Amino acid sequence: MNWLGFFSLGSAWLALLLVPLVLVYFLKLRRARQQISSLALWYQVVNDQRVNAPFQKFKRNLLLLLQILVLACLVLAAMQPFLPRASVRAQYQPVLIDCSASMGALDAPGGERRLDVAKKQVLTLIDNLLPDQRVALIAFHSTARRLTDFTDNKTILKDALAKLDVVPVPSQTVDALRMTQALAHTVPIERVLMVTDGNVPADADFELPFDLVYEQIPAGGPNMGITVFNARRSGLDQWEVFVGVDGSGSASQASGKLELFRDGASVGSEPVLLVPGRTKRVVFRLESANAASLEARLTPDGFDSLDSDNTAYLQLPKSRPLSVFIPSTLTSFRRAFHVQKGIELADEGAGSAGASFDVVVSDRPEDVKLDSGVALYVGFVPKDLAKLVTVGKGSIDVVDWERSSPLLAHVTLSEVTGVEQPRSAEGVHDGDFEKQGYAILASGRTGPLLLERRVGVRLEYYLLFHVDQSTLPFRVGFPILAANVLEIGRMQAGLAEVRGSRTGVLPPLQLKPRMMYRVVGPQGSVVDMAANESGVLNGVSALSIGQYRVSEGGTEAARVGVSLLDSMETSLVAVKQLRFKENQEVAATSDRIDADRPLWPTFALAGLGVLLVEWWYFQRRPGGWPET
Amino acid sequence: MADEAVKQFTTLLDNSILGRLERMRIAPRRKMTNRAHGEHLSGKGGTSIEFSDFRDYVAGDDLRFVDWNIFSRLNRPYVKQFRYEEQMCVVIIIDASTSMKFDGKFERACQLAGAFALMGLFSLEPVSIYACGPSGSEPAICPRCTGRVSRGRVFQFLEGLQAGGDSAIESAVEAVLRRHRGRGVAIVLSDFLTFGSLGRPFNLLFSAGLEVCALQILSPAEIDPELTGDLRFVDSETEQTLDVSNVGELISVYHDRRRELERELDEHCRRRRGRFLTTRSDDPIEWLLFDRLRRQGWVR
Repeated sequence: MNWLGFFSLGSAWLALLLVPLVLVYFLKLRRARQQISSLALWYQVVNDQRVNAPFQKFKRNLLLLLQILVLACLVLAAMQPFLPRASVRAQYQPVLIDCSASMGALDAPGGERRLDVAKKQVLTLIDNLLPDQRVALIAFHSTARRLTDFTDNKTILKDALAKLDVVPVPSQTVDALRMTQALAHTVPIERVLMVTDGNVPADADFELPFDLVYEQIPAGGPNMGITVFNARRSGLDQWEVFVGVDGSGSASQASGKLELFRDGASVGSEPVLLVPGRTKRVVFRLESANAASLEARLTPDGFDSLDSDNTAYLQLPKSRPLSVFIPSTLTSFRRAFHVQKGIELADEGAGSAGASFDVVVSDRPEDVKLDSGVALYVGFVPKDLAKLVTVGKGSIDVVDWERSSPLLAHVTLSEVTGVEQPRSAEGVHDGDFEKQGYAILASGRTGPLLLERRVGVRLEYYLLFHVDQSTLPFRVGFPILAANVLEIGRMQAGLAEVRGSRTGVLPPLQLKPRMMYRVVGPQGSVVDMAANESGVLNGVSALSIGQYRVSEGGTEAARVGVSLLDSMETSLVAVKQLRFKENQEVAATSDRIDADRPLWPTFALAGLGVLLVEWWYFQRRPGGWPET
Repeated sequence: MADEAVKQFTTLLDNSILGRLERMRIAPRRKMTNRAHGEHLSGKGGTSIEFSDFRDYVAGDDLRFVDWNIFSRLNRPYVKQFRYEEQMCVVIIIDASTSMKFDGKFERACQLAGAFALMGLFSLEPVSIYACGPSGSEPAICPRCTGRVSRGRVFQFLEGLQAGGDSAIESAVEAVLRRHRGRGVAIVLSDFLTFGSLGRPFNLLFSAGLEVCALQILSPAEIDPELTGDLRFVDSETEQTLDVSNVGELISVYHDRRRELERELDEHCRRRRGRFLTTRSDDPIEWLLFDRLRRQGWVR
């Protein structure tokens, strides 16, 4: 094994400078003439020195010796020696750095964040870069971001590393690996370093085309945090707020206090004691007729390594009855909805164009234009499917239906019969409907019976046969179906249940179509974005925990709070092995990153040191040069 | 001031020093004297006024020396013995080579020569002075003289000496012995920085019946040289050069060699029952003459 390598061995020719150095030294050595009474004693002195030791020659010419040492140091530095440590010396070295929420965990009170530990390791790698090596830094959390291109400029690399900060989002490795794979098309990449605390998904849908070094830094200390924050309506103005608290393995017996705030005012507090292996669920009951901002704060009793999961946000909507429009012609549904509580059944005249409802159930094709969160159209085929399916005379033979669909939950369609029979056109398959954006929820013998389509945040259902021309209203499942429609409507309107939004991207917001909105984040970040034609504002990045205010012309249009709410990140659990496609597995290693250690700075410093010694030695004569 | 300067007997030594020197005598280790009557007591028996010892009378002894008082008490004849005072030549050899021109070494040698000569003259000893300069040429000689009347002549000779030349001390001694006759003491004033061996000249002096008193005079720069760096030494006598690098590191070796030279000179002198002393050219002359030389037993 080579114990020392040289990157630029050709620079050894510089050692030939030794010859002119020695020649110049002796030729140009200007000795001061010193007249003395007799040379008798000095001859004896010189003879003594000559026979004492060969090294004395160098000692007598110490200045020459020092100059030779300086030259030797400089030549060695120019040869760029290094201590080979890495088994494979990669010329292009991508470094993937995890900066997800768990990397913000501390190891001890006042200790280092995991990201800072990772930065130190990467800094070591950067400092030990050899002249032919290039490093690209890629940060990843829920997505990946390339910090630098392949470069050997240590300033650029260190600056990029210094700017890297923890992003409170769950981690995903696939994006970073795909980005690296893309880089591999431009430069040869043999080995990729991934520096992480191990709190990443164990399985990745990715086929490794290179060697992956899974560098795992030690996990953080004990942690507990909020992983679930939901609210469900329990009455007209009643809400049940669920808060789930989880902890890391080392914090299984941790305790703390959970406090709930509504619009900044405390509305409840509960002590929390974690039980190993179980999520602690805390329920708060509160009345709220108006829209409210809820904030859950967890205050651990002991040391808590991660702060970002101790706060969660939730927006409660204003309490109101569900607005439902059903034309008078659709008597079956009107009767079924009539007995339901918490809804406001609109009059026939309210169904004009431009009106907005939470739920629309209609058998009139022109009601498709009505604005609603959920729409159930019965007895006609949507225009864009007119070529795919037609409704003719015949009996309804229900073959199968999607039981997991919220609309058909607990609904049995097996004995439903009717006189209208939807028929698929010749050669039309289920995939053709999916291409048009429709999902088949119930199928008959000759064609689809029930279709689902999502348009933005709007949900549309098409029952292709008319219920009044079937036995469905007389079946037990019909009121259940009607109740399911209302439940879906409440869900769409946010009146039944709201869930805490997670960091990453803001949830889609139903606003005015094509209007420009300004989104102000908790850190003061500002994003201007327009809603689409359906009035949906989506795709807004939310990488900070807190409340985002959406305003239109200075008027607040919506407010959304986002929080981490990820049990994986809160658990700080470290994955020991990453699994990829084709049964590829990469085990974690806690060893420091192996990197060849360049020695040229050491030799250059040594040369400078010897030069200083030589200068000092040359200048140290107390009386200066004696006069000749 | 001018009057005071005029009153000085010589420029080499102050009058007060001269006055003290007149009362001092050279104290040789051996009694190497001549047959001529002088002030130095001979080791041999003879006639003088200083009692030496008794011995049994043997037939043929001069009856004038029988101690009749002892004979009357012991009824046995004993003969009184007396010491014999003989002359002791004082030979002063001055190294007047160029190497002695440094830092007042030659001036100090002349001062010491004058002092020793004065002691010898006031002891009624024959004093002769030799100054050896250039090699191959005759040494400057102050011929044998004696008595206080000769002191002016001696100091005039010394004041007129000039240093210069490349004469080695060993050849200078040979040149002196070619001209000198008589036993006594030879005082050699030199720095003894020579390439040759010093055993031969000391042997020659000893063989000639002269007690060797070597007095090495070194300058302060030769005893404690303050030199550093790479130097080219130039010999003052031969103009030869010697390149020495990093002189500062060799000073300790130089001291070792200088001390070795002193030990060697001392050894040469001791073997021949002589004396050796090293002195700095900047030592006070009073301290040297009246303290150090006296404590070392050179003078009394």
